[in-house]
Amino acid sequence: MKQLLSLILAMSTCACHTYAQSTEPSDTLREVVVTGTGTRHLLKDAPVHTEVISRRMLDSYGGKSIEDILGGLTASFAFSEGDMGSQMQLGGLGNSYILILIDGKRIHGDVGGENDLGLIDPHNIERIEIVKGAQSALYGSDAMAGVINIITKRRDKESLTIENTTRYGSYNDLRQHNGFGFSIGRLSSYTNFQLQHTDGWQNTADEWTEATVVHDSRNKTVNRYTNWQLAERLDYSLSRDLTFHADGTYYIKNISRPTDGNYPSCDVYTYNLMYNNASAGAGAKWTLPDAGLGRNRNYVTLDVDWNKHAYYYRYTHRTYEDAYIDGNLEHGIPFYPGQRRLQSDQHRLMAELKGVFYLPLSNTINTGLEYRYDYLNAPMRTESGHASDWTGALYLQDEFDFIPWLNVTAGIRLVDNGSYGMRLCPKVSTMLSAGDWRFRLGWSQGFKTPTVKELHYRYLHVMGSSTFFNIGNTSLRPQTSNYTSANIEYRGSRFTASATAYLNSLDHMIALVNVPVGEIPAGITTAYLGDGSGNVQARMYKNMEDARTYGIDLNLSYQPLSELTLTAAYSYLNTDAHQYNATHDRLDKVIIDGTAHHKWSASALWQHRLTKTYRLGINLSTRGSSLRYYQNNGNGSPFQIWRINTTHELGRTNRKLSYKLEAGVDNIFNYVDRTMHPYHLGTTSAGTTIYASFAIRFQQGKKINTNIKKQTTYEED
Amino acid sequence: MKKIKFLLVAALAALTFASCSKDEDVKINMVSEYQLNDELVAAQKAKSGNDKAILLVAFGSTWNNAFLAFDDTKAAYEKEFPGYDVYVSFSSDICINRASAGENEDEEGNIVKRDYYEPRYLLHAIGAAKYSEIRVQSLQVIPGEEFAAVVASVKKFANNGYVASAHLDDEYLKHVNIRLGMPLLDNPDVDVPAVAEQLHKTCTLESVDGIVAFMGHGNPDSYDTFKANIRYNQLEEALQELSPNYFVGCVDQPENFKTHVYARMVDAGLTSGKLYLHPLMSIAGDHAHNDMGGDDGEDMDPDEWELNDDGEIEDLSWKVFFSKLGYQTIVPTVNFHPQGLLELPGIRSIWIKHTKEAETLEEAYHSMYPSL
Repeated sequence: MKQLLSLILAMSTCACHTYAQSTEPSDTLREVVVTGTGTRHLLKDAPVHTEVISRRMLDSYGGKSIEDILGGLTASFAFSEGDMGSQMQLGGLGNSYILILIDGKRIHGDVGGENDLGLIDPHNIERIEIVKGAQSALYGSDAMAGVINIITKRRDKESLTIENTTRYGSYNDLRQHNGFGFSIGRLSSYTNFQLQHTDGWQNTADEWTEATVVHDSRNKTVNRYTNWQLAERLDYSLSRDLTFHADGTYYIKNISRPTDGNYPSCDVYTYNLMYNNASAGAGAKWTLPDAGLGRNRNYVTLDVDWNKHAYYYRYTHRTYEDAYIDGNLEHGIPFYPGQRRLQSDQHRLMAELKGVFYLPLSNTINTGLEYRYDYLNAPMRTESGHASDWTGALYLQDEFDFIPWLNVTAGIRLVDNGSYGMRLCPKVSTMLSAGDWRFRLGWSQGFKTPTVKELHYRYLHVMGSSTFFNIGNTSLRPQTSNYTSANIEYRGSRFTASATAYLNSLDHMIALVNVPVGEIPAGITTAYLGDGSGNVQARMYKNMEDARTYGIDLNLSYQPLSELTLTAAYSYLNTDAHQYNATHDRLDKVIIDGTAHHKWSASALWQHRLTKTYRLGINLSTRGSSLRYYQNNGNGSPFQIWRINTTHELGRTNRKLSYKLEAGVDNIFNYVDRTMHPYHLGTTSAGTTIYASFAIRFQQGKKINTNIKKQTTYEED
Repeated sequence: MKKIKFLLVAALAALTFASCSKDEDVKINMVSEYQLNDELVAAQKAKSGNDKAILLVAFGSTWNNAFLAFDDTKAAYEKEFPGYDVYVSFSSDICINRASAGENEDEEGNIVKRDYYEPRYLLHAIGAAKYSEIRVQSLQVIPGEEFAAVVASVKKFANNGYVASAHLDDEYLKHVNIRLGMPLLDNPDVDVPAVAEQLHKTCTLESVDGIVAFMGHGNPDSYDTFKANIRYNQLEEALQELSPNYFVGCVDQPENFKTHVYARMVDAGLTSGKLYLHPLMSIAGDHAHNDMGGDDGEDMDPDEWELNDDGEIEDLSWKVFFSKLGYQTIVPTVNFHPQGLLELPGIRSIWIKHTKEAETLEEAYHSMYPSL
């Protein structure tokens, strides 16, 4: 109730946004988006409804990670941070239904269906675009929950850039971004090194273990981790119309777990976890000769990318495990401190040929061909040690302005999967414009074949003293979805409001659900019993009979003064999923893990230039969620958290050297979820934390383009 | 398409760098574990001057009261077998890992860390130290799945079949006297009545005062190795000859879960009163403390109970199950823990008897299929 009151208060005193927030009224009107259609549109005229987290919102919020940003600046997402990565939810659907892109390219890698968002440098984000449902023909019909496109900062090729941002906060939380960019002739380069570290924290020492509650567990709520990434991008312009690029990244994450606990069955670990990602890619863009269509010039791009995501144990104590030796499974194989052992290694190779053609009669054709090959190497976690899959896709989309106030965007995507054959997925969006009002209707079909992991992967997942044996299922069928949405939006100069209602109906939705021991395939019973405790809950990927998620998203933004912006966002969600229970011959209602009915966020931002060389920004924001539902280990408690962030921009904006200081307090009222391990938390927040960050940037040559207001041809390639 | 796929796979293979944990790396690890055990055993042999060895093989535990029970058992063996070096091993990797890494506190709050080893490493070390006689004693209750693993390990040792270049002296192995001691309930005609008698000796007063139920482990469903589960039924029969108030059920025996035990109690007209619960396992570890005597399922009402395909109710301890059915359940403890079978001297002496009567490996191997 207290939280609802706070929400009402927040919504009545401010208003909200997930939309462009700025100190200048016109900014929100000039925001450009690309994700929904693959072509550039002003946000207010985007045929596919798109939410944007703008650069200004990012700058004023002071987020430490992408989870922090998405969780705090929209009401649509829910996160649970775990060792394996982040369990994320959008519209009631989890990670495997959410497509995360960095500049239009899919990020790669998951362990247990979770994404490691540490791959994304929060200080290198220009803006974030969110398109819900499988509405984008370009980005795969498997993005049934939606697409998050993270657009990184663009830098003009003539400039020399040296930049550093260092953010430090409670629990030794260190985030560092270092950038070095230069251009020589037709070649330009940008090198990015980022580091993220926390010592982790413990919200409670209580833990349910050995059928009793212990009060001195050493398990942390968030474990200590360090990750770093080195990224390089090279661009080469052969001519004005032909450019080439190549990029590569290398990433390491180490997670430390307690080794000095009191209870061998719950808080003593004999190995830590390590992730290693790498990628390499190359591509070209050819802009076709001007056909007299002004700035809209046709172009073709070709991209080839390779990605790797490997997961290791790093031993801290002698540990006996199973291993294959000379082809035979042997028990009791020792691994010693300092050694590491591969658990899974996922590779992906993608090739994409794409073209955008501006045709007469206000038609814009966007078409492409995609090929993707996935390979999983997991010696101890798959039956044969490895598995693979390929998917090809052909898509075609036409944006057609029938009449000035009616746009219809229709697309089809033909998917061909190595195991499951072909499927055609249509999608249609219509937008009706009337002054500052927009009405959008969208319908899209999704098709998602089981992932290699859902089919073949299996492992024991120990959560404190609860052990789950998660098993892939080779009998899975593909999932299909029908997403329908209706949106109404008003976008004036000082006030914007948007309401979207959606219904996502999934057939054969794949979920990890509890199964009786009898359903475990005979061949892997030994692995299942490996724990020896007899307290293992078997969970298997299963197709549910049906699943529906539906809800309403509201977004408001109001600028009563030119220096004050008030925003609020609210998201209502409900789910309805059923699974056939063979034992009792009935349909059981199944909880979709992690769903909450109500989520909200709100903020008040005041920005003021006090002197010519000093600009102050103060952002008070809040976010919250009602109860989150889970099948096992209890529900997550409702929560509401408040944050204040201040920004201090020093120096003149046109100087070569600029500085920015940021300081804030997160979780001002010290809300801590102290639910005992290993039960679910509503939020893993450590309570009140403080942080400060300092950014310094040197730029030489042409001014760095840090916003997207410039009306240049900009695509997200 | 095939060609494209081939090219893609070739490209992937070129890009994949070799990960660790290759066969060779793993073998090197095994060799160092053999060496460590070889040194431990050689030191013990040099110290004691004994020429015979006994290797006790248990599943394992991470509970301190269980460690103490193994210590007492080792001491009892040393007393009964002068001239023998006695070693204790665990067959469960997870128990070994956790016992070794854990800071398990004893009753006085002292930190306990225990290093246990798998039978293969200790057997190898015993072989490397060239003891002239080796008696391997299974500390299992029934000759089931776990016992089969013990037999397989000993057989591999006798055949000099350990992997990772851990070869022993073939000439020595030809002449060494290897004997295998059978599990507690090996012989239905001899061991079952003897164990029943010893249990009755311990629980006579309880059987007069109320019902006494023992909880064993059992071979898991559809894996009734050597059909050994029948021993639990035979033991219940033998116990009921001494008092109709005895029952024997299992954590993992089809048709003999707690629900089935309850059904038999009801059939016998025993629907209320005191119910004493004891583990029927060599030590009192996770199962005794949690599945039997824990509070799992306390927040569930009986109308929420749901039978699984095997007729068992999961996540519900025996104590809670029977309490909610109206029995007055009691979990007798000694030093705050239920007692495992190794802690009952009368039962322990049956294991010791099996060690004394241990047959040569070949005889044991061929006779271990229990008669029904």
